[in-house]
Amino acid sequence: MGYALTTMAESSVVIANAFHHVAWGTPISVYFWLVGASAGSFVISSFGWVFGIKRYKPLAMTASLQAIVLLLIVPILLIWDLGKPVRFIYLMLPGYWHSTGPMAWGSLLIFSYPISMIVYVWFVMKNDLFWAKTTGIIAIVLAISTHWYTGVVMELNPGRFINHTALAPLLFLTGAFISGIGLLILILWVQNMIVAVKKRIDWSLMEEMAQYMMYGIVFDCFLLFLEFMQTFYGNQHELEGHETVLMGIFRFPYLWLELVIGLIIPFFILVSPLKRNKYGIILASFLVAIGVYGMRVWWVMGGQYMQTFF
Amino acid sequence: MASDNNKKSSSENGKTETKNHRRTYGIQTPGTKGIAGTKRYAMVVDLRKCIGCMSCVVACKSEFGVPLGVWRTWVKVSDKGTYPNTKRMFMPRLCNHCDYPVCVRNCPTQATFKHKDGFVLQRYNRCIGCRTCIVACPYNARHILPAKRSDKNLPYEVVDKCTFCFHRVKKGLVPACVQACVGGARIFGDLNDPKSEIARIVAGETVTVLKPELGTQPSVFYIGADWEMMDETHSYNNRTVQLKQEFNDFKRNHVVDGYGDIVEGESTMRQVGKNMGDFLNSIPHKASEVVKAFKKLLFE
Repeated sequence: MGYALTTMAESSVVIANAFHHVAWGTPISVYFWLVGASAGSFVISSFGWVFGIKRYKPLAMTASLQAIVLLLIVPILLIWDLGKPVRFIYLMLPGYWHSTGPMAWGSLLIFSYPISMIVYVWFVMKNDLFWAKTTGIIAIVLAISTHWYTGVVMELNPGRFINHTALAPLLFLTGAFISGIGLLILILWVQNMIVAVKKRIDWSLMEEMAQYMMYGIVFDCFLLFLEFMQTFYGNQHELEGHETVLMGIFRFPYLWLELVIGLIIPFFILVSPLKRNKYGIILASFLVAIGVYGMRVWWVMGGQYMQTFF
Repeated sequence: MASDNNKKSSSENGKTETKNHRRTYGIQTPGTKGIAGTKRYAMVVDLRKCIGCMSCVVACKSEFGVPLGVWRTWVKVSDKGTYPNTKRMFMPRLCNHCDYPVCVRNCPTQATFKHKDGFVLQRYNRCIGCRTCIVACPYNARHILPAKRSDKNLPYEVVDKCTFCFHRVKKGLVPACVQACVGGARIFGDLNDPKSEIARIVAGETVTVLKPELGTQPSVFYIGADWEMMDETHSYNNRTVQLKQEFNDFKRNHVVDGYGDIVEGESTMRQVGKNMGDFLNSIPHKASEVVKAFKKLLFE
C-alpha cells in the first residue's frame, strides 16, 4: 500500500507535445527600447520650450533630433516584422481598424508622434515660443502615450502572467525616461567634442540630468520591487515564471543586465563623489542605456517563453 | 446526433442569420452559452476513451493541408507513475473557441472574429501577420503559416487556426477530427440544444476546461483530464530529457517570423543578437516579394 501511495504521488512526465514559437522576438524588444529612448529624450527636449526652464533650451534641438532619428528606425522593425509587410496600411484604414486592439491604437500613435515632433522642431528652429510650446505639449502627450502603449500591448494578455500587470506602462515609462537621458548624455558628450567651444553644452547641465536619471533609477527599482513582490506572492505561474524563466533562461538580461549593470552600478556611481566626474556620468549613462534593453528582452520574450510548450 | 442537429439548425436559421450579426468583435464579445434562440457549438473530449492513435491530428492535417511544423490540433502525451504501476495519458488539444476570446479583442484589423454560432474564425485577407493573436491566445491554438507552401495559391505568412471545421458543420457534418476519432472520444454539437448529446454530457458529467481562471470560457470540455497535463508550468518543468533536446532542435532549425526563440542552456544575449541578424537577413527577401506583388498589380 505504501508503495502504491508512493508511486501515485509521482509527477507525470510529458513525453510528446507540439512545440510553438515565441511570436514576438528581438525586433520587438529593440523597437520597445528605441521608442522608450525617443520618448525619454523628448521629455528632456521639452524642458526648455514647454516647461520654461531656460537653461535646457540649448539642448532642445539635439534631444528632439535624437528622438526623431530613433523613431525613424521603428517602421523598419515593425513593418518588416509583419508577415505581410504591405498590409501595414490596414492598421490605418477605417474599414479595418479595430478599436479594441491595442496595436490599432499604437499604430496611430507611432504615426502621429514623429509628425508632432517634426512640427515642434520646426517652431523651435523658427524661435516661435507660443507655437513651440503648443506643439510641444501635444508632442509630449503623444511621446508618453506612444511608450505607454508599448507597456499596454503586452499587458493586455491575461495568459502572459509575467506581463499581465498594471505596473507595465509605468515600468516602461520609467525605463524610457532613464534610457533617454542616458543616451542623450552620451550624444551630447560626443557633440561637445565636435562643435565649437561656445556652442558646447555646459557640463553642469549633464550633471543635473544625471541626477534626474538617478531619481528615475530609484523609482524603477521601486517598481521592480513591487513586481517582484507580486510574482512571489502571486499564483504558481507567476512564481514559476520568475524562478524558471527570469532567473533561469533570462538570468543575464534580467538579473545582470537590467538590475546589476543597468540600475545598481549606475545608482552607486550617481550617489558617490563620481557624480561630479565627467567619465563617471558617462559610464553611468552608458550602463543605464544598455541596462534598459535587458528589461525589454526579458519582458517581451520571457513573458511568452513558458507557454511555448503548453 | 450532432449532424442531425446541425442540419436542422442551418435550415431554421435562414431568417435569424440576417437579423443577428454574423461577426462579432469588441472587448468582450457577447457570450452565447445557455442563451435561448442562439447556438453554441462546443466539443467534449472524453479522455477515458482516447487511445492516442493521432487519427484526429492526421484527419485535420489532410482536411486543411496543414503544413509541417504547425498544428491546428495535436495530442499531448504524458506518463505517470513508476514501473510497473504506470499510466500513459493523452490530451487532444485544439482551439477552445472561447466565449470571451482574447485573440478577437486584441486583433488590430478585425481579421479574427467570433461567429454568432460560437466559432472563432480567421480571415486571411485581413490578417497582416502581426501575431498579436498568437501572443494573446493562452492555449497556443494559433500559428503562422510558413512562407513556402507547396501550392503558391495557398495563404502564407498569415495566422491560421482551428475552425471547428466550420465548412463541414454548416453542411450538417461534424468536424474532421470528430469524424476520424476511432474511440468516439470527441463529441461535437450545439451546447444550447438540450436534446443534443453534448448538452446532455456537459450537464451530466464532471467536465473541466483549460485555464478556467482566465475567464475566457472555453468551449472545449475534457472528461477525465489529469491536472498535471492541464497545468502550464508543471508541463514545462516535467519533460523528458529527449523532449527538451527535441524542443531545442526545433528552435534551432526553424527560422520563422518572430525571431524570439531562445535555446535553453545557451547564451541568451548571443541568441538575441542572432535573432536580430536573421531578421535583418529576411528583409531583402521580403522586399523582393513586395516588389513582385507591386509588379503583378501594376503590369499584369
